[in-house]
Amino acid sequence: MKIAISSEGTDLKARVGHRFGISPYLIITDLGTGNFEAVQNPGSLGQHGTGVQTIVLAISKDVKAVLTGYCSPTARRHLETNGIEIFTGLSGTVGEVLESYKKGEIKKTETATIEREPGKRVVDRAIFIHAMKRSGNQFASMLPIFLGVVLLIGLLNTFVSRNFLAALFSGNVVLDTFLGAFFGSILAGNAINSYVIGGELLQYGISLFTVTALIITWVTVGLVQLPVEIAALGRKFALLRNGICFLLSIPIAIITVFIVNLVTR
Amino acid sequence: MSSVNRGSVKKSKGKKAPARMFIFPACVLVIYGILFTINPNKALMALKTSGHLLFTIAQPLVFVFVIMLALNLFVKPAQIVRLFGEGVRIKGIVLSVVAGIISMGPIYAWYPLLKNLREEGAGNGPIAIFLYSRAVKPFLLPVMIAYFGWVYVVILTLLTVFASIAIGCFMSVLMKK
Repeated sequence: MKIAISSEGTDLKARVGHRFGISPYLIITDLGTGNFEAVQNPGSLGQHGTGVQTIVLAISKDVKAVLTGYCSPTARRHLETNGIEIFTGLSGTVGEVLESYKKGEIKKTETATIEREPGKRVVDRAIFIHAMKRSGNQFASMLPIFLGVVLLIGLLNTFVSRNFLAALFSGNVVLDTFLGAFFGSILAGNAINSYVIGGELLQYGISLFTVTALIITWVTVGLVQLPVEIAALGRKFALLRNGICFLLSIPIAIITVFIVNLVTR
Repeated sequence: MSSVNRGSVKKSKGKKAPARMFIFPACVLVIYGILFTINPNKALMALKTSGHLLFTIAQPLVFVFVIMLALNLFVKPAQIVRLFGEGVRIKGIVLSVVAGIISMGPIYAWYPLLKNLREEGAGNGPIAIFLYSRAVKPFLLPVMIAYFGWVYVVILTLLTVFASIAIGCFMSVLMKK
């Protein structure tokens, strides 16, 4: 059985972290073997969404109990939903807390239960507010680049002639689809921008083959984020995956447009 | 025995993200500023075109927010993580596709997690399927339909799902070599 103890450092002499979500490390100990590992807590970086990653980390490490100073109600709810016990109000060194836990001296913190009349409310207020905030943040983070793209399209519509853009494409289906896939691979950002750009390119007479390849590779191939993918998943995986996705985008774009033309004819 | 895993998230890169978001729109605004001094009539026309475009997309954007809210209310990252680790059999494939489709947020946020999952035993196939099926964005479907029509969206979505499975199979085989 594994347990996670929030910690200020990487060994058993370190102090127990005050808050589960933002402590610098989690010491994950296997009670069976006595082995432990110190994992950097993603939540300690204080960025949006990293608190959730702390919970996910605990779940993915197959931890059965979390020992910490304080655990927020939201984190507690997620952990308990996934069968993880929570022990709070702890202080001292990680080693001391671990020994107390082994001896059964630490009592589980009871969850503050929310009384709810049957059938009255499916989603409680706190969860709804949290989801609203999260959606608001996600929506807001999408807007700056999106507005930039909309403004840029206004410029293109006004200053760039239809003939100029059409001249960039040869009229050859495979070559134009390849070009669309290429532009989609080097551009990055929220997929909504690819829809807006693609939709406007259609107005300019650019083929649906090109636009479809651009939309596909916009999300599936990422030259900009390739270094991050290599760092996370390895060079071979990242290069192979991006290469296959790029090559596959061309037949998929051609097949998509072919079927659409068949259906809508 | 102890070990320290420090590679999960890079601090310096993440901190720059919010400021970086504004670089592109700021550059476009600078171009507008320059054009307003050179050719104010055409620059105003460009601005009006952008305004019209924004007005056209506004309605689908409302639906985008509603679907985002629904996903945030009923789908949790922890549930998405649990969909992994089933191997490349049919159940694992389906679950990886579903995980990719319902996952939200920038891909950068998912890389540390995927790395961690692979260290825990998740296969290359399911990870590749997850990354590809992220191309299906349920919350952006209203915008996509507004631009390309539902027939196009349905066909592309289905082909994207099939392609994600094909890529997962390719990656499983090729990574073993």
